[in-house]
Amino acid sequence: MCAITKEQVFDAISTVIDPEVGFNLVEMGLIYDAIIDETCNVKVIMTLSTRGCPLHQMITQWVKEAVEKLEGVGEVEVEVVWEPAWNITMADDNVKKALNG
Amino acid sequence: MFSVSKDYAPPFGMIAPFFWIGSLFYLLGMVFLLFLSPDAGHFDPAVAGWAHWFLLGFMMMIIFGAMAQLVPVVVEVGHFSVDLYYIIWPLLLLGTVLMSAGFWISPTILPYGGLIVLISMVIFLYDTLMTLRKVTNVTLTVKTVVASNLFLLAGILTGFMMALAVGAGLDVDIGNWLGAHAVLVLGGYVTLTIMGLSMILLPMFGLSHGFDETPVNQAFYLMIAGVIFYFFATVIGWELGKFLAFVMMLASVTLYLHQVVIIYQTRARKENDIWAKSMFVGYGSLLLAAMLGLVYMMTNSENFLMSSAWFLMIGFFSFLINGHLYKIIPFLVWFERYSPLVGKEKVPMLADMLPKRMADYEFIFSSLGLLIGGIGLLVGNSDLFMGGVSLLIAGALFMFMSVRWMLKYGENKSQ
Repeated sequence: MCAITKEQVFDAISTVIDPEVGFNLVEMGLIYDAIIDETCNVKVIMTLSTRGCPLHQMITQWVKEAVEKLEGVGEVEVEVVWEPAWNITMADDNVKKALNG
Repeated sequence: MFSVSKDYAPPFGMIAPFFWIGSLFYLLGMVFLLFLSPDAGHFDPAVAGWAHWFLLGFMMMIIFGAMAQLVPVVVEVGHFSVDLYYIIWPLLLLGTVLMSAGFWISPTILPYGGLIVLISMVIFLYDTLMTLRKVTNVTLTVKTVVASNLFLLAGILTGFMMALAVGAGLDVDIGNWLGAHAVLVLGGYVTLTIMGLSMILLPMFGLSHGFDETPVNQAFYLMIAGVIFYFFATVIGWELGKFLAFVMMLASVTLYLHQVVIIYQTRARKENDIWAKSMFVGYGSLLLAAMLGLVYMMTNSENFLMSSAWFLMIGFFSFLINGHLYKIIPFLVWFERYSPLVGKEKVPMLADMLPKRMADYEFIFSSLGLLIGGIGLLVGNSDLFMGGVSLLIAGALFMFMSVRWMLKYGENKSQ
């Protein structure tokens, strides 16, 4: 049985900041799910705020590296999905408030 | 699944000269406006020399530099041969200087400058079209990029033909072909390219989602049809056809502006930073240029044509390009100097990597200069025109210093 929780995975990913908007990926609502199997392999399901994001590959790499820092973690996989498409309602209230200028 | 890897991203040292040179041409271009008379018509060689300095040295230089980065983002494949960009900017630089000198000093230089510009653009087109051959997902944006690049080819060929007419005595009716050259390059390439890129960049920076794209799709088709129609009307010398083509292009611009409003209304990011403010002035200028162009079509008054061109070039093109430099340069610098440090040390946000005060001064001086100079052209008042130009020079100086500041940010972090 794996001791790593979904909350720990999300906390680890919350260290990854989008340099354009200045918020972390979790508070932006870009991380949809984290699936953890019995041997502590982690699959992160996430999206990006735009399809043409030039940082696409780097951001997924940063997410992978952030989760790999968790003690006892196995293989880490990051899948980027476009459905459901991200929108601002998925972000935390502090993000919405800040973006409203 | 689409991703732009570091391999797709062109080296920073390859793109930086495009921005250095482009912003220097912009600054010198504003200074050269001091030597133009507001009464000069669009056939005046002094105006033609300035227009080529501005459009080739500033606008095309920066568009090409930006395309080195943006083509993979827009069409979702890597460059055919990004190394070709190392020879594009020196050729474009030399060709532009010779072309402007050809208009200002001696027409015999013009074909040489035209030929060098032609070669640089053919190299650009070769890389772009060979890159497009790799695309499997042929979206409307991809089709638009193909169409715009073919228009650019036709535009520079007609331009070279006129350069041969002016400098080498080729028997061509310049009066007839000048309009086709301008429509092919400014409508067919620049406006279509801006439309296509803005559909990626405006939602990306404004965080707009779930909006209707029907207006811009119609705008694409109308602009393509209008440019083709104008070209064939020129070939057969059909004046009414040219007028109808202009109406189609104006309708296209109107639909595109409607699309921009839709994107603006659905944006999540409401902060009015220097990019957003530049977009307001840029799109406002496009609307004004379209209205003045419409009045010109009804009155045939040169003042309306020149002021329409003013708001199109100094307003729409300049503010859109300069506004995006405040986004593109910090990103490129960050990607080059800070992305390898993510997770190892604290890295700056992109918003911290531009000189806010200098950018604000650039915006204020340039906006006032645009408005006052435009009114001067419209009413034919030399003092107002020169006053506007003086403000534009101050704005361009702040723009150049801002570009320098951004390109040098974190220089000691270079790998």
